[in-house]
Amino acid sequence: MSKLLNKPFKAFSIYALIILACSIPVYHLVVDFIWLNELDEHNQIIEKRIVNSFNNAHIEGNELNGLLKNWDKLQPSTILTPSNLSIPKPDTIYTIIKQNRYIDHNEIDRFRVLSSIIIINGKLYHLQIETNIEEADETMLAIAVVTLLFFVLMVIGFIILNRRIAIQIWRPFRSTLEKLRLFDLTKQQNVLFDKTDIEEFEELNQSLKKLIDKNISVYNQQKMFIENASHELQTPLSVLRSKVDLLLQNRDLTKEQSEIINAIELPLSRVSRINKNLLLLAKIENKQFSEVEHIELTDVINETLDLFIDYVTEKQISTDKNLSEKIALSCNKTLIEILISNLLINSIIHNEVKGKVYIDFSDRKLTVSNSGKKALESKKIFERFIVSSSETASSGLGLAIVKEICYRYQWQITYTFQNNLHSFSVQF
Amino acid sequence: MKILIIEDEKEIARDIVKYLSGQNYVCEVAETYDQAVNKITIFQYDCILLDLLLPDGSGLALLELIKREKRQDGVIIISAKNSIEEMVNGLEIGADDYLAKPFHHSELSARIHSVIRRKQFNSSNIIELNEIMIDLLGKAVKVNNIEVSLTKKELDLLLFFIGNKNRVISKSALAEHLSGDIADMFDNHDFVYAHVKNLKKKLTEAGYENHIKTIYGTGYKWEL
Repeated sequence: MSKLLNKPFKAFSIYALIILACSIPVYHLVVDFIWLNELDEHNQIIEKRIVNSFNNAHIEGNELNGLLKNWDKLQPSTILTPSNLSIPKPDTIYTIIKQNRYIDHNEIDRFRVLSSIIIINGKLYHLQIETNIEEADETMLAIAVVTLLFFVLMVIGFIILNRRIAIQIWRPFRSTLEKLRLFDLTKQQNVLFDKTDIEEFEELNQSLKKLIDKNISVYNQQKMFIENASHELQTPLSVLRSKVDLLLQNRDLTKEQSEIINAIELPLSRVSRINKNLLLLAKIENKQFSEVEHIELTDVINETLDLFIDYVTEKQISTDKNLSEKIALSCNKTLIEILISNLLINSIIHNEVKGKVYIDFSDRKLTVSNSGKKALESKKIFERFIVSSSETASSGLGLAIVKEICYRYQWQITYTFQNNLHSFSVQF
Repeated sequence: MKILIIEDEKEIARDIVKYLSGQNYVCEVAETYDQAVNKITIFQYDCILLDLLLPDGSGLALLELIKREKRQDGVIIISAKNSIEEMVNGLEIGADDYLAKPFHHSELSARIHSVIRRKQFNSSNIIELNEIMIDLLGKAVKVNNIEVSLTKKELDLLLFFIGNKNRVISKSALAEHLSGDIADMFDNHDFVYAHVKNLKKKLTEAGYENHIKTIYGTGYKWEL
């Protein structure tokens, strides 16, 4: 994944590189053109100076011949020779590449040459002026180096600007993102996004706000529905149970009828159990049970285990406790009792006949393990109504309640399956 | 003995009356707060069953009224599961016991029995029934003056049966009575059978006539 700003940055850099690369020959052409123009002008000025000097000096005959003979020594970059033409011809300008005589080392240089016919004392002379000019490749190289340097500067500038912009401009975006990350539907807190003057972000915030508000309201409605539904179910369930009780009192019951009543009792108690747990979940979610006490966990475990003793013996389960740690927890008494008993109930209901239950409390970590054959789907077991096996008629809410209680106190609950043992651990 | 049932749910009130009437209780029903206030201020009851959620008032206010008048009526709160806090409040105000709905009639009957007993035999704490004598404080049971050693659960069962004479008690009601709320988390209550069997055996061995009848695997009945 690459960051959003890096994408245009890459494109911009490549575009800048292409443009700058294209500019190198263009610069070169322009510089060369200016060079040549300037040198041609320069050569013409020299020519004019020479002609003027001759005309003003009035050098005649032998003196002129002597001067011409030594011309080469006096003016090294010009050649002045008598011309054998009868009429003057227009000036020619060209470039030659040759060995530079005046430099020690062997180097090929480029020269701009003005070849012209001048008139001294009425005679035609051929004047050739050469001026050294920078070679094309050297100019090219210099321009390329400078351009590259600027390109590097530009990229560095881009990176720095990019970072600054990323930090500043994206600040509202980041704050929105952070708020979304921390948002928890079950916590019921409203999300307030920071105001921003960037239109797109403001629009994003508005849309998110709408979405979240809607979600919260749907969630609340759903919660309310479950709560109301289970409330409404309580009375009919009470009536049902009371009718079954009364029916049992009938003296004329046949064996068959009695068995039917018995068969009604089981699903009836399952429904009331589910209802009870749904109400309990709703209450925990609604932040009830807020009173906090100091509670000795080992006491709660021992007391709860005593309550289950009949069920443990009935299933011939052997229990093994290691409750070396004496730690008082600050939490609600009812909730911790529910947590412990749900874990223990779980370890009994889902145990095998003659199975084992291990309870370990050390390093502020409570682990309840029971025998089992196959690992459960650890992601799903804490969800509501995920019943792992069909043989037990559990409510499917026990672990969801455990999870909800852990969530309330920010305790960590984990499930592992090792050595044929299902283990649920709560880190307090 | 007179019992007042303050309960707005007609069906539930009627069923309670039916169940209790079989045990020599005289029951009256008040369906609203006003009816209840009228009855409480005029008559005396041995036990009042109080639903906290009434259509025209709070059951807790009624309880406060009873206590303000320094009345001796025993009070058992019967209310929905979701108002445990209110029930605890009720106990603090002075209710004698509470029972969460839905409950077994047998459980209610046992609680009423125990509340009335506490009110009436404040000092003695001894129950006598034919040849059996139960000392509640010493947790001792004697049959024809011979001590029978019962476990805590067997004693619980015995008291439960005595509180539900001639009524069929379902196995799940017994399980719930012995293990409390958690019983309804389990589907199998066979352990009840073992406890009842032991109790029966110990009592008959001590020479007590067997009053515990098994009803087709559904439950038990203490027949007198």
